Amino acid sequence: MDKILRINVGATGGPKATVTPLGEYAGIGGRGMTSLIVSKEVPPLCHPLGAENKLVIAPGLLSGTVAAMSGRLSVGCKSPLTGGIKEANSGGQAAQVLGRLGYAAVVLEGKPSDDTLYKVFINKDGVKITADNSLRMLPNYDLVERMKKEYGDKIACISIGPAGEMKLSSATVACTDMELRPTRHAGRGGVGAVMGSKNIKVIVLDDTGLSARVPKDIEKFRTANKKWVEGLRKHPVTGQGLPAYGTNILTNILNEVGGYPTYNFKEGRYPGGSKISGETVAALEAARGGKATHGCHRGCVIQCSGIFNDKDGNFLTKQPEYETVWSHGGNCGIDDIDAIAMLDFLDDNYGLDTIEMGATIGVAMEAGLAKFGDAQAAINFVKEVGAGTPLGRILGSGAEITGKVFGVERVPVVKGQAMPAYDPRTVTGIGVTYATSTMGADHTAGYAVAQNVLKVGGDVNALKADGQVELSRNLQIATASIDSLGMCLFIAFAILDQPETFQALLDLVNAMHGLDLKGDDVTALGKKILTMERNFNAAAGFNKAHDRLPRFFSTEPVPPHNITFQVKDEDLDKVFNW
Amino acid sequence: MKLEVRLFAGLTCLNEGLPCAGKQEFFVEAPAGITVLGLHEFLMLRPGPLVTVVNAVVEKKDFTLSENDRVGIFPPIAGG
Repeated sequence: MDKILRINVGATGGPKATVTPLGEYAGIGGRGMTSLIVSKEVPPLCHPLGAENKLVIAPGLLSGTVAAMSGRLSVGCKSPLTGGIKEANSGGQAAQVLGRLGYAAVVLEGKPSDDTLYKVFINKDGVKITADNSLRMLPNYDLVERMKKEYGDKIACISIGPAGEMKLSSATVACTDMELRPTRHAGRGGVGAVMGSKNIKVIVLDDTGLSARVPKDIEKFRTANKKWVEGLRKHPVTGQGLPAYGTNILTNILNEVGGYPTYNFKEGRYPGGSKISGETVAALEAARGGKATHGCHRGCVIQCSGIFNDKDGNFLTKQPEYETVWSHGGNCGIDDIDAIAMLDFLDDNYGLDTIEMGATIGVAMEAGLAKFGDAQAAINFVKEVGAGTPLGRILGSGAEITGKVFGVERVPVVKGQAMPAYDPRTVTGIGVTYATSTMGADHTAGYAVAQNVLKVGGDVNALKADGQVELSRNLQIATASIDSLGMCLFIAFAILDQPETFQALLDLVNAMHGLDLKGDDVTALGKKILTMERNFNAAAGFNKAHDRLPRFFSTEPVPPHNITFQVKDEDLDKVFNW
Repeated sequence: MKLEVRLFAGLTCLNEGLPCAGKQEFFVEAPAGITVLGLHEFLMLRPGPLVTVVNAVVEKKDFTLSENDRVGIFPPIAGG
């Protein structure tokens, strides 16, 4: 990956593509790349939908190689949802293909002069940008079918649905999976709205005629990859639990520990949890001819995704993730897995963040727009978003806006972004991450659930403040590094527990790039990225007042534990002390 | 003493001598004063590391269970 593609969407005569060498951006990938470009080139006070914002799409340092798990894509910008820096992350095929095409980043910049919509086609021969207003407001699945007819079925697509075109703050950037379905999303923070503001509907990637990237030291790379795969396969999480049940295995667990946000964060245990659990869904998928074990990108050996068919055995959606099942399930009092799967499909099709959308529906239910548990009402809400009705535009702008419009106090957001599927009062470590992450309320940014509840990679009591600041700090640093490699974050479970597997990862990076990185270098990289992001946010107007949970988490005890968030404000302010 | 037990992620009671054999969610009469580890052995759960939740709190192997405790047990799993 030795070049950057810049597309100036405001150029005279239509978007103009320029390919440049890496220059100052050499040696970095994924979130490191997106945050570095955004920090250097985007004025922190710019309007997120304006000419000065940029959408940076970057595969990781190992993307496009045969290294297992290397297919994650980072999408970065100033977020229209949070107003701060954003890196959203997606699986699917796009990162592998972009890596093989040789692009370390694609940067969309400038502002279009009219409302013409464009598609971008990239193959080994170059870049072609074509106006195509017939794609206007096409949902992602229909859009991908059109691209298949036009470009064949050996492509990967990066696209926005109607939500992105409408510049809604919940809009995603979709990536197609190995079955060429738009099921994987760079979901959080409205990155799809920024792509929509650039009038780019779809980027079609075709690596026909190209091979996997060649490491500098082929033998060392091969040896390291073998050890890497062995390590992932032998760890019980990455080798057994995730392949068998996927992320939704967490429903029963979080319910059991009383940390499952229920009825818009009013309670911590949902009575209908077992009906929508990972175990129940895996059995249902098998019975209906779907799949409970499935990889979202070539090279994935964890295989945590799946295929969900409807009652008639026809494809409906990918296996809904834990966050989606929670947000549209227990958070809204819905225990009908078929309704939840339909909501997942609609979110994917319109290009909506399932976490933000589900949290928003929970706030809407709290506001009395529907009763908790009314699945049809939830489906109708999402359809309104897709149709762009006035109510749809409110809901599609996220939980905070919806709460303001309807006068709701209990709105679970930090820096404007809705909280995912863990109650911060009972999973205290994730509460620290929610409050302090540069990304807003983000669970993957520092996944303290692992040590608080699952006892993977350590053991820190979920119900007490002790040790949570250090835990969140260390996880946020590690995650920032892993996100720069383009690796799936689930490798963290294996590398935290197995030092030899962590070493295999270092050996892979070193063999690929001719480096000599040690563990301390990985930590230093993570700190550097977080410092960049914090500085951007400070310049954008953020201060410690924004590193806090909503007030109700400190005043409203949550059953069954009946406790409030325990970490003191002055301790939250210590997370980034280094 | 009576315990309310939930087994997750494919775990089942493998003790054929108990009424709960083969089940994932059940009430069981366990010896008084049994520990978490003792319960794992009593139910003949498959070997390997396990996480045990007692009344919504993750407890260690030497924790002593009480009458009517709600117990959830799972192997190492994770997600996001």
